[in-house]
Order: sequence, then C-alpha cells, then structure tokens
Amino acid sequence: MTLALGRHTFGDDDTLMMAIVNRTPDSFFDKGATWAEDAAFARVAEVVAQGAEIVDIGGIKAAPGVEISAAEEKARVVDFVARVRAEWPGLVISVDTWRAEVGAAVCEAGADVLNDAWGGADPELVDVAAQWGAAIVCTHTGGVTPRTRPYRIEYDDVVASAIADTVAYAERALAAGVARESIVIDPAHDFGKNTFHSLEVTRRLGEMVATGWPVLVSLSNKDFVGETLGMEVGERLLGTLAATSVCALAGARIYRVHQVVETRQTVDMVWSIAGRRPPLRAIRGLQ
Amino acid sequence: MSAQVHPAALVPGVLALLPRYASLEDPVAELRAACLAAVGRLGPRIRVVASGGSGGRVGAALVRAAGSLVVESDETGLLVVANGSGRRTEKAPGHFDERAEGFDAALRADLGSADPGLAAELWADVAALDALAGRTLVEADVLYDDLPFGVQYWVAVWGDAAD
Repeated sequence: MTLALGRHTFGDDDTLMMAIVNRTPDSFFDKGATWAEDAAFARVAEVVAQGAEIVDIGGIKAAPGVEISAAEEKARVVDFVARVRAEWPGLVISVDTWRAEVGAAVCEAGADVLNDAWGGADPELVDVAAQWGAAIVCTHTGGVTPRTRPYRIEYDDVVASAIADTVAYAERALAAGVARESIVIDPAHDFGKNTFHSLEVTRRLGEMVATGWPVLVSLSNKDFVGETLGMEVGERLLGTLAATSVCALAGARIYRVHQVVETRQTVDMVWSIAGRRPPLRAIRGLQ
Repeated sequence: MSAQVHPAALVPGVLALLPRYASLEDPVAELRAACLAAVGRLGPRIRVVASGGSGGRVGAALVRAAGSLVVESDETGLLVVANGSGRRTEKAPGHFDERAEGFDAALRADLGSADPGLAAELWADVAALDALAGRTLVEADVLYDDLPFGVQYWVAVWGDAAD
C-alpha cells in the first residue's frame, strides 16, 4: 500500500528505515549520548547520510523514570523538530509521543508522523494527526499505562490482541479524519509483552501484514532479543537483525532502528529474497 | 525486396538483457543501448536467428523492446544473435584461454571463419553466424565492440531498412 507520511509519499514496495534519535538523558541503548541538542543534531546528520528515510525523535524514554511534564517534553523536542525540518526538507520527521498537546506542537514545527508507542493512551492524538495531515503509528500495548513495564500480563492469543487493538486504533484514526495511507500499525515488541509474546508476534507477523495496514516493527536491541540470546544491551545487533529478517520476509514496511546501515542491508537482502526488490546489479551467469 | 538487401544486425545472446533478469542498476546499460539502436534499424518485422533457445529469447526481447514484431517470414530485417569467445580473461565465465583472442580476431575479419569444434572449446556462440555469411565487421556499422565480462560482444548493423 502507498504510504503518505506527512508531506512525503512512498511506493507500494518501499521499505523505510526509521532512525531513533533520543533527546533524553537516559534512554536504554545510547544512555543519553544525544541528550545535548547539538549531539542529537549530529545524530540526525549521521543517519541521513546512512540513508534513513525517517527520524523518530523522542523526548521521553519508554521505561519508568522521572516524570517528564508535557512542557518539559515540548522543550526537548519542538524547537529541535523545527531545526531538523529547516535543515532537511526531504526527511520524514516522526516524533515519539503519546500526548496530543505535544503532538500538536511538533506538527506545527514540521513533524510528519506521530509515533504513539503507547497505544492511544491520549484519545485526542488522532484528532491532532487529522488536523495537521500527519501520519500516525498505532501500537499495541495490551492497555498498559505509558512508561510502565509489563508485569504478569497474559493473553489468550497475543497476535489476535495485537491485531484487534491496532486495527481498532487505526479505524479510530480513520474516523477522526487521518488519511488511510497515513495510518501504520505496530505490534510493539516488549510493550505490554514478555519475551514469549514478542517472539510469537515476530513469528506470526504475517497475520498483521495481512490486515492490509502497513506494519512498522520496533525490534532494535530490545529485551526480548537480550533474553532470548543472553545478551546485554550493546550485544544485541545480530539477534535484532535475525528478528528483522523474519519481519521483512513477512512484509513489514517500516523498521525503527538504532543501526541504520546494518538494518538496511538486512531488509534489502530479505526483500530481494522475497521477490519484492531486484538485485542491485546481477551479472553472474548472465554474461 | 530480395533477401540480399534486407538490413541485418548482430547482437550477443547476453541473458542480462532479458527483462526477467533486470537489476536496479543495469550492468549492461551501454550494450543494451547499442542493441536497441541496432534493432531499431531493422524495420517493423524482424526475423531472429539464434543458435539456441536463450539466444532466441534475447533476440525476441530486444525486438519487442524496440517496438517491432518477431516474424518467421516476410521480414524487413534480420537479427542474428551470436558472440565471440567466453574465455578471453581470467574472470571470464570460461576462464582464460590463450587461443581466444586470435579466434575472435579471425571472426572479426570473417564472421564465417569459425571452426565449430574450436568455437565450442572457446565458449563462442557462433552457429547463427551462418546467416551473415559473406559479411564482415569491417564493412558494418559497429555500435559496440568490447568484452566487459571476458566475453567478446559485437553489436553491428549492415544496411538500413530505409536504404
């Protein structure tokens, strides 16, 4: 399906790298490396050079921690979005937020996508996306409160729950006036899920793709990879890429990542195996 | 119009020219352009002569890409699919054979000169060249003469449909 992400459109078979850019002092993978605005700006320049089509700018880490007010969140991301917008007009800017108030401010500053990692916790976020012509990412969290860890959550069928919740969210966005081609669903690995749940969602991702809504996956260096392989943060790239391959074969369209180059190679390779992308330059045996 | 005055063209049977083997970046862009230019000078109805199935498919694909029709008779032009040795360099599909360069030089001077046994040893696809008997590359308009992958390719045209 064609994707319209704010002011940018992409073809039916395009895959997109969404590079994570944290404006936080405490996110799990980079541990605050891009907390300073100039460091975050340099990170954007780096991932653009690496070919990322999207940057996902976040002002609050997902895990529990010091409460960040909407005002503080805006202070972290709004001016930064405007600065990135001015420097890279062709770049898709996503902002990782669940708050409608923050969403409106970043859209005004030039954001194209509202990446709601918390499954619609703020019901007015869809209205903001509709009002600004922004795209929205509809995730599955099992109904947990933002910035909480999963604790003894069980599902009869985690994939059925993920499909039901994300499709319901997508339809709510559609009803609010968000364009159909601007709505993306995300099973949200590790969010409201134990490792067994995230592995099952990965194994059965094709069922989410079959809904017809474009699917985003956010696998990068997450705990389900770490627990599966016994690897600490910083040692999870290979496991992440293995999970990425499975999701790519199933047809995921957007990959939220820390490592752009490695993920792009992985997805291109799998996309070609799946017959959705020609080889770059094939001559072996064809001379 | 007698058969003798039909324009004729020579192209190599390179599988990379087939649409089913298209890459994001065309590894044979220059060769393809030369082939299409040559085929474009054969008129609307083109008979393809090739040594085997794959060469025939390459010829037919080029005719279609040029917007012409493949015909069995009453042609306006003749497209011959053949090429020189596939053993010209170390990285060639058939690896290097020191006899290959001389073999191709002799073919260049006389397209009907190839010994079938030697041609087979040198991975040269020359059977269809009988259709060009009496013609030489010297008198042709040669659009391409190179061995980018260690296989000798020629794209050449004799006469024009408009002549």
